[in-house]
Amino acid sequence: MSTKQESNGDRPLRFLDHLAGWINWPRFLFALGLFIFFAMILFPFYWMVSSSFKSPAEIASRTPVYIPSQLRLDAYKELFDANQAHFQNFGANIVNSILVAVPTALIAVILSTLGAYATARLRFKGREWMLNGVLVVYLFPAVLLIIPLFAMLAQISQVFGFEVQDNLVVLIFTYLAQTLPVALYMLTNYFRTIPDEIEQAALIDGCTRFEVIWRIVLPLAVPALITVGIYTFMIAWNEFLYAFIFLNDRAAFTIPIKINTIFNDPSPRPHVVMAASTIMTVPVIVLFLAFEKFLERGLTAGGVKG
Amino acid sequence: MSTVSPPQKRSIFGNTMHAREVRLAWALILPTFLIVFGLILFPAIFSVWISFHKVGLNNLNDVLHAPFIGFDNYKAVFSDFAFKWNGFSQMGAAVTTVFYSFASTILTLLFGLVAALLLNRPFKGRGLARGIFLFPYVAPVISVAFVWRWLLDPRPSGVLNHVLMSLNMIEAPKAYLATRGLAIWLVIIFQAWRYFPFAMLMILARLQAIDDTLYEAAAVDGANAWQKFLYVTIPELRYVLGATFLLRLLWTFNKFDDIWLLTGGGYGTNVLPVLTYQFSFNSYDFGKGAATAMIMLTALVVFIAAYVLIVMRNADES
Repeated sequence: MSTKQESNGDRPLRFLDHLAGWINWPRFLFALGLFIFFAMILFPFYWMVSSSFKSPAEIASRTPVYIPSQLRLDAYKELFDANQAHFQNFGANIVNSILVAVPTALIAVILSTLGAYATARLRFKGREWMLNGVLVVYLFPAVLLIIPLFAMLAQISQVFGFEVQDNLVVLIFTYLAQTLPVALYMLTNYFRTIPDEIEQAALIDGCTRFEVIWRIVLPLAVPALITVGIYTFMIAWNEFLYAFIFLNDRAAFTIPIKINTIFNDPSPRPHVVMAASTIMTVPVIVLFLAFEKFLERGLTAGGVKG
Repeated sequence: MSTVSPPQKRSIFGNTMHAREVRLAWALILPTFLIVFGLILFPAIFSVWISFHKVGLNNLNDVLHAPFIGFDNYKAVFSDFAFKWNGFSQMGAAVTTVFYSFASTILTLLFGLVAALLLNRPFKGRGLARGIFLFPYVAPVISVAFVWRWLLDPRPSGVLNHVLMSLNMIEAPKAYLATRGLAIWLVIIFQAWRYFPFAMLMILARLQAIDDTLYEAAAVDGANAWQKFLYVTIPELRYVLGATFLLRLLWTFNKFDDIWLLTGGGYGTNVLPVLTYQFSFNSYDFGKGAATAMIMLTALVVFIAAYVLIVMRNADES
């Protein structure tokens, strides 16, 4: 492009010349395609974040407000400030979601590490059968499982005397069932890529299997463990259907159910819905971007049901 | 390790090296197995049982003594107005599900292919662009579904209404998601928007593994860009396109959240997963709900068997 010595009048022409020299059909189509994709992907996200900062008047206006006049925190106040008229106590919902998603991720990582070590390293009958069986789980729709689960848990709760409805522990177990097969599959594939000579040497030196797992396998598998942990966290954090069925009490709602409730409120307040959605989406996107390298490989390797 | 163990006796109760390994293996995998069996496989089998019994809210606590009613639940589903075909304006959940699954899977794959081709070209900031392209897939369904609902808002303040009215393409605001015929297409577009990143990643991984010499050979033969795409890229992508198609179709067929949150299953968008939910948790006829789910699962199994036997085998041969 133009350099400092040239006069100002030349600049636009020079620039156009340069552009004309650079552009050709493939490049133009490429740039256009990229632009369309970016616009299509990012606009809904922009709309979500920007709307969460709009004032009630901007929300209710006859034409859409594309850029909020100022960053108003009305929506966020409604979510968190107990003095507001429509106080939503959203903090409690965030806590519930964390209480469900974090244990799900931790337990899934621990259990699937043990299981995957067995399927990758130890020989036993039914090993291949079990790995293939894991893939069958992809077939079962969540709506199919929700009916028998509902009936089963009702029976079990009568026998053992615990509450199924509004019980976050029940929710954790159902999420574990959803995520463990994928986690097991991904980790088994990963363990198989680690050569096992070091482990054999350690075993000959007298280490027990648990010591081998703890001292050798785990340190080598950290990237895969992070991937599995973040995936299971994201699945549990985003899950809607099971939480929708099993949670009835406002105090037990996780974030998605709370957003659904605010959305279906008789007096529509889209900016509050968008604020809650922003709060829910930001951690997921940040986690994803931070660990993108690991996660992409996981996406294509095992595939996360969704 | 197992070469050490004597081959004649392989009882898992013995004290050989092999027996101890087997016991350890089962101990390690047992927690996972119990959870998956107890909360997925057993319920799946149990729902076959439920589909042959009359189970409602009144006997849910005593479900094992529910009266056996044979195929009545299935008959009820097949003759239900919401399920069966009633002509093109009232397609019914069965036909809608098939139509919508195929349409959105194909559209998802097309979007994914275009996106993968764009990102296959090296340019500055490609890594970041890749990350951004995955946003719709990783974001929570509830937030993106509600953003879309609001963009398609029936009031004049809805973005799509405002844009189309400013362009003079429509005169009065429309309720897009509450218009029969249009709503299902919007759901399909939403699905393509949300799930194309998955297809893109699968295709991109394969694209980057294509041997450059193939393109060079094609160039020597005088092929232009379009011919290269048609005769080199597409054949190389065939297998991954087939596999991605199958996976996406499977998941789309079973999908509940997206449609439920966008339209609630109204206005010609009722599909089998939503119908299952409605039978079970709106009219509390769990037997009928389970029967619907079983019909869905049967269709899926038959389709996958046929697909794997015919399409994938042909792909292997050629």
